[in-house]
Amino acid sequence: MSIKISALQYIQEVKSGNLSAEDFVAKTMEQIQKVDGKLHAFLSLNDNAVDQAREIDKKIKSGGKIGQCFGMPISIKDNICIKDTKTTCASKMLENFIAPYDATVITKLKQQDAIFVGKVNLDEFAMGLSTEFSAYGPSKNPWNTDYVPGGSSGGSAVSVSAFECVASLGSDTGGSVRNPASFCSTVGYKPTYGLISRYGLISYANSIEQIGPLTRTVEDAAFMLNLISGQDSNDNTTVDNKNEDYLKDIDSGIEGKKIGIIKEMLGEGIDPSVLSATKDAISKLEGLGATCEEISLDMVKYSVAAYYTITATEAGSNLARYDNLRYGYDFSVEGYEFNSYIEKARKKLGPEVTRRMILGGFVPSAGHAGKYFLKALKVKSKLTRQVNEAFEKFDLLISPTVPILPFRIGEKINDPAALFLIDINTVTANLTGKPAISIPYSISNGLPIGMQLIANSMNDKLLLQAAYALEKTVKLPEVPI
Amino acid sequence: MVSREEIEHVAKLMRIEIDDPTIYEIVDKMIGYFDILDSAGVESEDISVREIPISDLREDKYTPFDEKLIEKLNHYKGTYVRAPKMI
Repeated sequence: MSIKISALQYIQEVKSGNLSAEDFVAKTMEQIQKVDGKLHAFLSLNDNAVDQAREIDKKIKSGGKIGQCFGMPISIKDNICIKDTKTTCASKMLENFIAPYDATVITKLKQQDAIFVGKVNLDEFAMGLSTEFSAYGPSKNPWNTDYVPGGSSGGSAVSVSAFECVASLGSDTGGSVRNPASFCSTVGYKPTYGLISRYGLISYANSIEQIGPLTRTVEDAAFMLNLISGQDSNDNTTVDNKNEDYLKDIDSGIEGKKIGIIKEMLGEGIDPSVLSATKDAISKLEGLGATCEEISLDMVKYSVAAYYTITATEAGSNLARYDNLRYGYDFSVEGYEFNSYIEKARKKLGPEVTRRMILGGFVPSAGHAGKYFLKALKVKSKLTRQVNEAFEKFDLLISPTVPILPFRIGEKINDPAALFLIDINTVTANLTGKPAISIPYSISNGLPIGMQLIANSMNDKLLLQAAYALEKTVKLPEVPI
Repeated sequence: MVSREEIEHVAKLMRIEIDDPTIYEIVDKMIGYFDILDSAGVESEDISVREIPISDLREDKYTPFDEKLIEKLNHYKGTYVRAPKMI
């Protein structure tokens, strides 16, 4: 029995009686024990996973009603609440926080008999793109453990890539699903804003973030989307997708589709191997019957600055709740003055979170809002208009997911400007609410390169069809772990 | 360029005590990068806001949340949450 199979293969094998959920989950837990000491994808493990799988096998044997996951082992980013389990956001502030309820995505997956093998690492409060800002230490890239796995959903990507689970849920505020998917050679999906409920996702920048799956194949991403998307009365930003089946007709192909190549995402600072992979992907898409043409979106140049301004502002407000009165509770209120008490509590926030909170106080403040926050919102509006106009002409847009290859751990940690540029290709989908996917495309010097496709809002199905077509042109080596 | 005093002022408002001296330089670099927004030429742009019609909101009806969240707080006493003195 191999654990190196996709979600759909797993389900098929269990359904046909060739595989028991217990054996597979037990093997997966063994794999975690074997490789995670080196990779550090997990922050906590579900000690009952194998027992839960055994229960599912019993249910299958007795002919009971089984959910669509058939006991499939899934990892969950540690900023998504699973009731009665620790949800730390990779922060010391939430070191002992036990989630009091399930996120909507968790409720949905439980109903489908998924098994959560554990909670996975991230940059503290999802602020970062390498997992180096986790308070519990970085995750390592399975392709080369001296390199970052990307982030912030780094633990999710590592766990999928290293066969420590079949699929994972991450969250994507500015590329946090797609970036690590690209760096670890997995599929990463950021849906249309509102397609997946954020209820139970610990807030960072509500207006643009979305939960998204990381999987081994595009089909698996479509399958996960089928399970977790849809309107939720606990999240007023969710949209009704009429129970769309994203898996159906996924092999429709892309003949006759028009694809725009975003000029600003192939410019300055791009690694030559990423550029040549992108050109190769474009010619493959043309070979499949699509037409590709360059398009300029000049607001992309300002998108990262707008993104950080908006997210810092929302983070400054969201993280104000961490005051040790409701979260933390490790020292008494006795003998403290209000402000000094909260200041002391906030020392548990790591350096990046502290910096972004200060930014979040500064950019929308009186005297500075006009120069920063309001201007960022205007860039967001103009960028959205430009992207909407592009979709009048094109069905899809393409760019590399990240302009560079994975970098060494520690290499850029003190260089915010260098880190900013890494987000340049991913933040546009968040600022404009569009769905986007990263597809594993090639390996250069032993490090993965992912290709990004973006579609118009609610065209998630078309996006997955195109991604599937591109994925079928690619044959990649197995991860060397 | 953002001065040390400005950063300290904002940090105080955010109830953050700065004890890491590198913060000034990094925050200044980050804000310095945001200056690029000045050249975006968006002064005349309208800010689009996401509007949700009231009819699309869920019914304005009380639904009990059956988890006793407040009782999970350590500083919970009777019907109050204890907070530090505000003077």
